[in-house]
Amino acid sequence: MAPTSDRMAALDPITYEVVKHRLWQINDEQGTTIRSLSTSPIVVEGNDFNVGLFTAEGDLAVAGPYVLSHVTTMDAVIKNVIARVGDEVAEGDMYLVNDPGLGALHQNDAAVVAPVYFDGRAVMWVGNVVHHADLAGIDEGSFCINATDIFQEAPRYFLKLVERGVLQKDVEYTFVNNSRLPESVALDLRAQIGAINVAQERLHDLLTEHDPATIAAATERSVDDAERRLRALLREIPDGAWQADAYMDGDKVGSDRILRVHVELRKEGDELTFDFEGSDPQSQGPANATMYACYAGATTPVYALLCGGDIDWNSSIKRCVTVTAPEGTVVNARYPAAVSLCSIGFTWLAATAAWKAVAEMLLGSPAHRDRSCPSWGVSCNANNLFAVDDAGRLRGALLSDHRGGGGGAKPDADGLDHVGVSFSALSFMSNVEGQELKLPIRYLFRKRLADSGGPGRFRGGQTVVSAMTSTGTTQVTWKSQNTAGSDQSNASGIAGGYPGAGSQVVVIRDAAERFARDPDDALASLAGASEGVEHQPTKSEGRFGPGDVFLFHAAGGGGFGDPLTRDVAQVVADVATGCVSVEAACEHYGVLFGDTGDVDHQGTATERFEQAFARLGQRSDDGEALLGDSCPECGGLDPERRDGTVVVSSQELRDAGPWIGIRWAGRSPNFGLEITACSRCASLRNVREVRKADA
Amino acid sequence: MDHFIGADTGGTFTDLVIIDSEGNLTFEKAMSNRQDPGKGVRNALASGAELIDSDVSTLLASTLRFAHGTTVGTNALIERKGALVGLICDAGFEDTLRIARGPLGRNLGVPITQALDFIHNPNPPPLIPRERIRGVLGRVASDGVEVEPIDEDEVMRALKELAELGVDSVAVCKLWSFLNPAHERRIGEIAREQFPDLPISLSSEVSPVLGEFERTLTTAVNAFVGPPIRAYIERLNDGLAAGGLRHSLQVMKCSGGLTLPQNVEREAAAIINSGPVGGLVAAQYLSQVLGYDNVVTSDMGGTSFDVGLIREGEFEYDAEPCLDQGLPVQTPAVKVVTVGAGGGSIAWTDGDRLLVGPHSAGADPGPACYGKGHEPTVTDVLVVLGILSPDNFFGGRKLLDVERAREAIGRVAEPLGLGIRETAEGIYEIVTARMADLIRKVTVENGYDPRRFALLAYGGAGPAHAALYAKHLGIRDVIIPPSSSVFSALGCALSDVKYSYARSEPLVLDAADPDSFMRFNTTLEELEEVALADVDASGRNRDEVTLRRTLDVRYRAQMNELTVPWTGGVLDGSSFDVVRSRFETAYEGRYGQGTTRSESPLEVITFRVDAIVPTVKPELKSEPLGPADASAAISGTRMVSLRHIGELEHTVYRGDELAPGHEIKGPAVIERRDTTVLLPIGNTATVDTYGNVHIHVNSGDDQ
Repeated sequence: MAPTSDRMAALDPITYEVVKHRLWQINDEQGTTIRSLSTSPIVVEGNDFNVGLFTAEGDLAVAGPYVLSHVTTMDAVIKNVIARVGDEVAEGDMYLVNDPGLGALHQNDAAVVAPVYFDGRAVMWVGNVVHHADLAGIDEGSFCINATDIFQEAPRYFLKLVERGVLQKDVEYTFVNNSRLPESVALDLRAQIGAINVAQERLHDLLTEHDPATIAAATERSVDDAERRLRALLREIPDGAWQADAYMDGDKVGSDRILRVHVELRKEGDELTFDFEGSDPQSQGPANATMYACYAGATTPVYALLCGGDIDWNSSIKRCVTVTAPEGTVVNARYPAAVSLCSIGFTWLAATAAWKAVAEMLLGSPAHRDRSCPSWGVSCNANNLFAVDDAGRLRGALLSDHRGGGGGAKPDADGLDHVGVSFSALSFMSNVEGQELKLPIRYLFRKRLADSGGPGRFRGGQTVVSAMTSTGTTQVTWKSQNTAGSDQSNASGIAGGYPGAGSQVVVIRDAAERFARDPDDALASLAGASEGVEHQPTKSEGRFGPGDVFLFHAAGGGGFGDPLTRDVAQVVADVATGCVSVEAACEHYGVLFGDTGDVDHQGTATERFEQAFARLGQRSDDGEALLGDSCPECGGLDPERRDGTVVVSSQELRDAGPWIGIRWAGRSPNFGLEITACSRCASLRNVREVRKADA
Repeated sequence: MDHFIGADTGGTFTDLVIIDSEGNLTFEKAMSNRQDPGKGVRNALASGAELIDSDVSTLLASTLRFAHGTTVGTNALIERKGALVGLICDAGFEDTLRIARGPLGRNLGVPITQALDFIHNPNPPPLIPRERIRGVLGRVASDGVEVEPIDEDEVMRALKELAELGVDSVAVCKLWSFLNPAHERRIGEIAREQFPDLPISLSSEVSPVLGEFERTLTTAVNAFVGPPIRAYIERLNDGLAAGGLRHSLQVMKCSGGLTLPQNVEREAAAIINSGPVGGLVAAQYLSQVLGYDNVVTSDMGGTSFDVGLIREGEFEYDAEPCLDQGLPVQTPAVKVVTVGAGGGSIAWTDGDRLLVGPHSAGADPGPACYGKGHEPTVTDVLVVLGILSPDNFFGGRKLLDVERAREAIGRVAEPLGLGIRETAEGIYEIVTARMADLIRKVTVENGYDPRRFALLAYGGAGPAHAALYAKHLGIRDVIIPPSSSVFSALGCALSDVKYSYARSEPLVLDAADPDSFMRFNTTLEELEEVALADVDASGRNRDEVTLRRTLDVRYRAQMNELTVPWTGGVLDGSSFDVVRSRFETAYEGRYGQGTTRSESPLEVITFRVDAIVPTVKPELKSEPLGPADASAAISGTRMVSLRHIGELEHTVYRGDELAPGHEIKGPAVIERRDTTVLLPIGNTATVDTYGNVHIHVNSGDDQ
C-alpha cells in the first residue's frame, strides 16, 4: 500500500464526498438497527447508546449522533482489544467488553466490536455501545449506589461473543443470565450483533466498489478534515487559562460527603488541555470516573459548543485535546474503586466543570462569544421506581423527567428551558400517560419550576418539577442516583449571572391532595426542614405509599450578566408567563410592581441603585454606582478587560433563587456565593458557588 | 364527456390534471400565488380547459370529481398565522406543550446537524402562549376512573377569561380523556351553553390516542389551522360551484384519502403536508395497473427530494408524523421522507472539499442558468453536462444561459484546482449517490431490501438522475410516468374518500381474560360506528364502504408498536392466536428472523378504523404496443459528460412522440415538455401501453 500522503493525494474530492456520505449512512443503519430492536426505554427514548466505524488501528472515523460520552470510549475499547488479543483476532469474530478498565464508560455500557475483513485482511473495525438495563451488582439497575468497591458492582466482561461467525451460546448465556432483566439484555445484545452484521455487510459492498485503500484514505481524510477545522476554530480564540469547579454533595447512600472536581483549561494556539489537578481524592462510593470516562466527560463541551453540527465527531478531537488528571482522584480513580455510577457521577461533573471553563474561554473570544453558555443540564436526577402492583406483578422503570433540566444563558439570549442533558441532544422525556401506564403512580403535576433559571441580564433556562403519588400498590420503592445538587447547584452562571436551581428529590408524607390542588403553594412549603418533608441526599433509597408525594427536579440553567441590568420589559414578560415570581422580580432584578400590577418605574430605578450600592457596602447617597456600559473602571464589563478594581463579598445561596440548597432553606452551612463586583459601577463581574471551608 | 380533475398547489407551481371518461390525460401548470392560492387553481383551470378545447364552465359542468391538495394549512402552521387558540387542560399540567418532552420540542423534525448544534438551535415559537392556557381541576386515572370531579365554576371562569382574551376557538385536552372523555365533554357542554359562538375542539374527539403531549398538540394544531383551511376551502368550493361544478370539492389528506369541505375544519391537522402523499396515491394506482407489488418512489423537485414506499400494494404509514420542528401529531400519514435536496441545491467549496447543499437557490434567484442567481446549482450542472438542453427546458418556454451556468461552476472549480466539466460531473455524482443513500435509508429503516423494489421516479428533476441512483441501489427496473411533473395532482384525481378514526385502549391480550376480548371488540365496533355515521352523513350507502381495521401492537413493556391489519372479525378464544401470528410475522419481516418472543404477552395500544368510500375513478387509457423502432422520435444528438464514462454522443428523443412498444438503447436523452430522462450507456428503455418509460438498469460495471 502506498504511504498515507500519496493515498490521500490520490483521493479526489468527489470520491471523498461520496464515500464519506456512504460511511455516515452505513453507521446510521447500525444505529437504526439498535433502536428498532431494543426494548429498553433507556435506548429508545433516552438514546443511551452509540455506534461507530473505526480505522484498522481502532481510531474513530465516524460516530453516531447519540450519547456523546460513548464517542471517545468506543475507540479505547477497540484499541484495548487489539493490544490484548490482536494477533488472535480472526474474520467473523466479535468481542463483548464492558470493563471500565478497558475503556467502557461504566459496567452497564457493553460494547460489541468487530474487525471488518476484506481479502483476508482486517481493514476496519465497527462497534457499538448500549446501556443495558441491568447487568447485576448489589443494586437494581446496576447503578450500585451502595457499592464501596468494584467487586460489588456488575461483573466485568471481555469475551469473544462470536467466533468466526458463530454465536458462542455459552458466552451469551453467561452474560444474559447474570442480569436481573435477562429478556431485555438478551434482546439488546441481539440488537448489537445485528447492527454489527448490517454494518459489516454494507462496508463489504463499499470496499468492493471502491477498494480498501480508497476507503482508508477517505476515513483518514475525514479525521484530518475535522482536525483542520477544529484547529482553525481554536486559533480564532485568544490563548489563556480558565478555572472551574463542580461539586458532588453525597457520594453514596448514607453519605453527605462533599467532593470537588477542579479543572484548569489551557488554550495555546490550536490545542486545548483540561488539567484536573486539584480534584479531590477518589470516593468510597460508586461515582468515580476512570481516566477514559474523564476524557469522555471533559471533551463533551468541545463536541457540543465547538464542533456542534458543523465539525464531524471523530478521533480528530484526540489530536487537539489533552486531558490530564492525577491518579487516585475522583476523575481518575485507582482500581478497584467502584465506578458503576460514573456516567452520571464524576464523568458528568468533569463535563460540567469543563463546560464552564470552555464557556469562560469563549467569553473572551470576539469571534465566538455567542457560544459562551456556562451550563447545560448539569444534573442527572435519575430515579428508578419499583413496585409490586395490586395484581401481583413487579413493575419497574427509570423516570425520565430529569431530561427537563435547564440550559445556561448566553451573551445574546436567555437560556433554553428544559434542554435535556449535555451528553445527548436526542434524549427525550416520556409522556406522563406513558409513565402512569407503566408504573403504579399518578402524577400530581409536571410543570416548569418558576424561579429556577439563574438570574442574569439574560436569564438561565427553567427546569421541570414533577410530583407523583403511588396508586394501585401498597408502596413504591425508589432508588435515586442524582448526580449532585442537593447542597448547591453546579448550574453556573457567567459574566455576573447567578447559578440556576439545584437538583433535588423530596418525599412529603400524606400530602398528595394538597400538592394536587395547589402546586405553587405546596412547592413554597418545601424550603427548610419541616414535619413530613424529607429532603433526600443525592444518593438515596426508600419507599412511598398512597397519599405520599415523591417530588423531584433537575438543575436549572445559569444566568448571563448582571440581573440588575436586565431589560425591565423582559422581567415583566417573565412574570406574566410565570417564569419569574413577583418576589423574585424584586429580589433579583430590582423590578417593583405597583398595586395595579403595573411596573413602578420610579421605584424600580431606586431599588436597582440601592441593590447595586449594597454590593459596594454603601448606601446610594455615598457614591456613584452606574451599572452602565460606560464605566471607566470595568469598561462596561468588557470581557477583554481583566484589570480594574473589584469588591468581593459573600452571599447566601438563597440570594441566587429559592431552589438552591432547599433543605437548608438556601442557607447552607457548606456552600455560599462569592460575589465580585466592579468597585466603581457595582456591576457584577462574577458570581460563583464556593465551599465555605475553602473560603 | 365526463371529467375528473386533480389540482395540487405547490411552492412554485399549481398543477392540474384533467382525465376524461375515455382515460385521456391532460395536464397544465400555473404559477402558485401564496396570498391567494385559489388564483393558481383558477388560472390552471382556465388554461387546462383551453388545452382540451373547452371553457371553464363547460368543463366544470361535466366534472364528476374535483379533488384538491392545498398548502394553506402548512403555510399557516409554519408561519404561525393561524387562529387565536385558547387551551384548557389539567391543573398542574399547563406547561405540557411548552415542555414538549424536553429536547424533543427542539430536536425532533430537524436535520441532525441542526439538532447537534447546541448553541444555534432555539425552540420554535409556541402555537399557544402561556397566557391563553388554563388548567382546571378534575383528574382521571390511568384506568379511566375518575379520581377527582371537575369544578364547573372553575371551568366557567377559565372559559370566560379566554373569551375575554378574544380567542377564536378553545382546545380542550385532559389526561386519559381517550379512556374517559366525561370531563372533556362536560367542559364542551358548558362552553356551548355559555359561549355558543366559541368553537371547541375536544382531544377525545380530535385524537383519542395515548400520549398527552402529542394529543394536546394535535388538538391545538387542529384548532390553529382549522379556521384558515375552512375559509379557503369554502371560498374555493363556492367559486367552483358558481362556475358550474355540480359535485362538492374534495380535499386531499395525509392519509392518502380525501375529505369533504364540511369536514376540513375537524380534520385540519390531517390536511397539512398532504402534497407529497398525492404522488404516492398515483404511484399506488400505477403500480397496481402495471402489476408491481413493491415500489419505491422518488420525487425530486426544485427544493426537495421525497421518498415513499409501497409494499405489497400498501402504503407505509407514520403513526405520528412530525409536521415541523417539534410538532409530532397523531394523524396517521402515508410515510414520505423528505430531504432538502433538489434542482436548486447549491454546490460550494471550503477550498478543500466539494459540497452540495443544504442551501438552495429556491425559486428566487433560482439556478444561475435562469439568469438571476450566481451560485451553481444542480440544475446548472445538468445544463453544463449536456443532460438538459438549454433550448428545450420547460417545453422551450424558458431559455437557459449555459455560459452563466459554466461561470457559476467555475467559481467552485477554481479553488479545488479542477476543471469546470470535471467539477460538474463530480457534483452530479455526489448528488446522485446521496439520493441513493436516502432511498436506501428509507427502505432499510422499514426493514426492506431495496433490490426487491422497482423505482418510480417523478417530479421535474428526478428522471435526469434515476437510472444512476437505481444502479447504486441494485434496482433493476425504473418507471418514469408521462405525467411525472404533475404526479401529486394526478393522485388527487385518483383518490378515494376516506374517514379515519383511531382510539387508544391499552389492553394486554390474555386468552384467559374474557374482559380483554370484550374491550377489543367493543372498541372496534364503536370506531366503526362513528366512521359509518360519517358515511351516512355524506349521503352514501353503508354497503358501498370498505372498512379497514388496524391495530397498533407491541410486546408488553416495549416502547414502539407495529401497526398490523385486523381482518379476523370478532375476537374470541379461537382467533386469539391470529393476532399474535399477524404481529409476529410483521415483526420478523421488519426486524429479522429470530427476533420474536412467543412467550411475551401482547399489548394492543391503539385501534384504528378507516372507512373507504369508493369513488368513480377514471381509467387511464392504454394503447396496444406498436413496433420497437423509435427512430421517428429522434430529434438529433448531443454530447453528454458523465464521470467514469467521459463525454459521449447521446441520441435525443422527443418524449411526446414516443409510442407504446418503442425501444431505446442508451446512451440517450428523452426530452419531454417538463422533464428530461437520462438513459446512460448500457441501459435500455421501453415504452409501455400507458406511455410510461421503463429503464432496464444494467447492473454490471460501467461499459
